[in-house]
Amino acid sequence: MHEFSIAEALATQILRHAPAGRRVREVEITVGALRGLEPEAMKMCWEAVTHDTSLAGSVLVMDMRPWTLTCPACGRAWESPVPFAECTCGEASPRPTAGDELDLVSMTVDDDDDAAAAEAETR
Amino acid sequence: MNEPVKSTRIPIVERVLEANDQLAATVRTDLERRGIFAVDIIGAPGSGKTALLEATLRALKGRRRPAVLVGDLATRRDGDRLAKWCDQVVQISTGQGCHLEAGQVRDALAQVDLTRVDLLLIENVGNLICPVGFDLGQAAKVGVFAVTDGDDKAAKHPYLVQAADVLLLNKIDLLPYVPFDRSVFEADVRLLNATVPMLDVSSTTGEGLDGWVAWLERGADSARGS
Repeated sequence: MHEFSIAEALATQILRHAPAGRRVREVEITVGALRGLEPEAMKMCWEAVTHDTSLAGSVLVMDMRPWTLTCPACGRAWESPVPFAECTCGEASPRPTAGDELDLVSMTVDDDDDAAAAEAETR
Repeated sequence: MNEPVKSTRIPIVERVLEANDQLAATVRTDLERRGIFAVDIIGAPGSGKTALLEATLRALKGRRRPAVLVGDLATRRDGDRLAKWCDQVVQISTGQGCHLEAGQVRDALAQVDLTRVDLLLIENVGNLICPVGFDLGQAAKVGVFAVTDGDDKAAKHPYLVQAADVLLLNKIDLLPYVPFDRSVFEADVRLLNATVPMLDVSSTTGEGLDGWVAWLERGADSARGS
């Protein structure tokens, strides 16, 4: 279950980035289809690795990037959750491509006072 | 009545496995500087990785100076098997871990006399999914499929097929006895990766081993020259 190692690495990363004393509400990542990450498994692992930490209760938001299928016969390209699918023109073997990105995109933290909020907004 | 707590979204641009990737980069730099060709061998449990390594080490005897790192969940059995053929074998027990990570490779390499090595064979934990995403600092990834696993395994594991620098189809001697449609397997591989070399091998009969060993030796030669 690679989801667990990834959740652990992500939690370490967030704890390093989180401003001291501010509760982390949400963490956003982008996941390429090649990674084969199961969103449900990933959420479960996130809860497991964060429940005893200051990240407990934070929500993991995953932007799951799809496959792109390109038809060699008619040239149509479209996005698909699965790598193998028939084209509408009848071609059985469109070429699947996908990324292996696994990127931290943002975290959302509670504001502790107006000054902190103002400072964050000017970044 | 309390107002809802305001929050701020802070954008971050960083890879999630950044820490592993940095360690891997350190390992890679060190291996390249020493002219060592390192391969990460990835395949399912029972696909014959350890038997293939035994046969490979036998074929390389006196020709190359290999070292082997073996990842396994708990036992030392694979390491003990390979120690018969190679004097530098380090077993990495991953405990619950389903794949090797760069830090484990770095620590294991500290137990190897790298001045006596020109080829590093890393047998990853038996798993077709998890190991692919963790860079170990290898020069090449080797994917191992076995005809006994079924002809759908390439289609079900696109990340390995796309990331591999060479794909081995192992236990090829059993092809007449199992329902493995080679054309299906090859078509799936080619859709996912149009250029990866595909080699048939059998550790039992020795079929195809010369092609695989030649591939390794070409890599070792170019690593030494670089």
